[in-house]
Amino acid sequence: MGFSWPWQYSFQPFFTLQPNMETRQKQLAAWCSLVLDYCRHHRLYTLDLQEAQESVLFNNRQIQRKLPSEVVIIVLEELRKKGNVEWQDKGKNRCLVLWRRPEEWGNLLYQWVNKVGLTNTVCTLYELINGEDTVKEEFHGLEEWLMLRALQCLQDEGKAEVFGVGEGQGVKFF
Amino acid sequence: MRRRGVGAGAIAKKKLEEMSKQLETFRGHLEQFASKHKQDIRKSPQFRMQFQNMCAAIGVDPLASGKGFWSEMLGVGDFYYELGVQIVEVCLALRHRNGGLMMLDELHKRVLKSRGKLAQDVSQDDLIRAIKKLKVLGNGFSMIQMGGSYLVQSVPAELNMDHTTVLQLAEENGYTSAAEVKAALKWEPERIDHILTYLLREGLAWLDIQATDGPQYWFPALCSQDAALELNETSP
Repeated sequence: MGFSWPWQYSFQPFFTLQPNMETRQKQLAAWCSLVLDYCRHHRLYTLDLQEAQESVLFNNRQIQRKLPSEVVIIVLEELRKKGNVEWQDKGKNRCLVLWRRPEEWGNLLYQWVNKVGLTNTVCTLYELINGEDTVKEEFHGLEEWLMLRALQCLQDEGKAEVFGVGEGQGVKFF
Repeated sequence: MRRRGVGAGAIAKKKLEEMSKQLETFRGHLEQFASKHKQDIRKSPQFRMQFQNMCAAIGVDPLASGKGFWSEMLGVGDFYYELGVQIVEVCLALRHRNGGLMMLDELHKRVLKSRGKLAQDVSQDDLIRAIKKLKVLGNGFSMIQMGGSYLVQSVPAELNMDHTTVLQLAEENGYTSAAEVKAALKWEPERIDHILTYLLREGLAWLDIQATDGPQYWFPALCSQDAALELNETSP
């Protein structure tokens, strides 16, 4: 299924930072949802700013408009404040895009655990991510670092415990 | 002299009586007509407009009050009241997008959509009448003539002649620029700058500085919303 772009994407001034504060807020809010929707649709977890500059996300060749890099940073900073973006370096060249935050993944996971009755059972991370039982779940195929962070959140809430199993890692749900 | 004066007065009085009698008869016929064609008036926008014109000719305004013979008979008061509410809803829902300005065509399309297929038909004339009634609620609603159509304003921003002239200029493309305004209207740069800045500040215009021939001022209200078609992601 194709990604459906919001109307703003084909509106030329969307790619110029608006001088009017009220309009700018609407503009940034629209950019924030666009970035998250786009990454969710393509299941992207990281953005390299230089690459992103040239990607269709920030560069609409049909109308020949491109979001300037300083504005891209403003948008990502907005998302960072909401907990959806984490910078990976001080120079702000790469970032994680958490279109679902770790605690949200954790909740999703825990709901599933309760549904299928896996409490008080030990699972490996590999099973959770790649196992046949999770194929229909949204967290199937999730990147391992993110799965670990989601489990970490559950551990902090006392709902799980993460430990090493051989070379991989395992988890016990409560 | 005295006799003549009385005579003239009597004649005038008699004439007046006759005329008011005639008018009464006419009103009576109009009422009969209205009750007979109630269904048509409700259903057909064209019929409704002609009926409104007929009423206006003899100084009857079926919309003037919610009560009274006309509105009870026809339910027209309710009709425009309901339409007014729908107009307000559509305008509010799109205000974040267009800053409170919308072409009448666009409003018409959206009102029809929100009313659903089974509701009675509504014409642009009906919308204009309903909007005029909304003015009673304060200066929130007004209409700006744009070529053959209207621009409906649902925010109380004060727009003077200069502003509306610039909007009219932008109607064709959805945007304008200082250079275009200068070429078309021969205004002084300060005046142009003042007007364009005001439209930005009121949230009616968006700025685009990436055009090759200088900054452009875009009006979402004037850009066809259909242009924002869902692009296939492989196409850009």
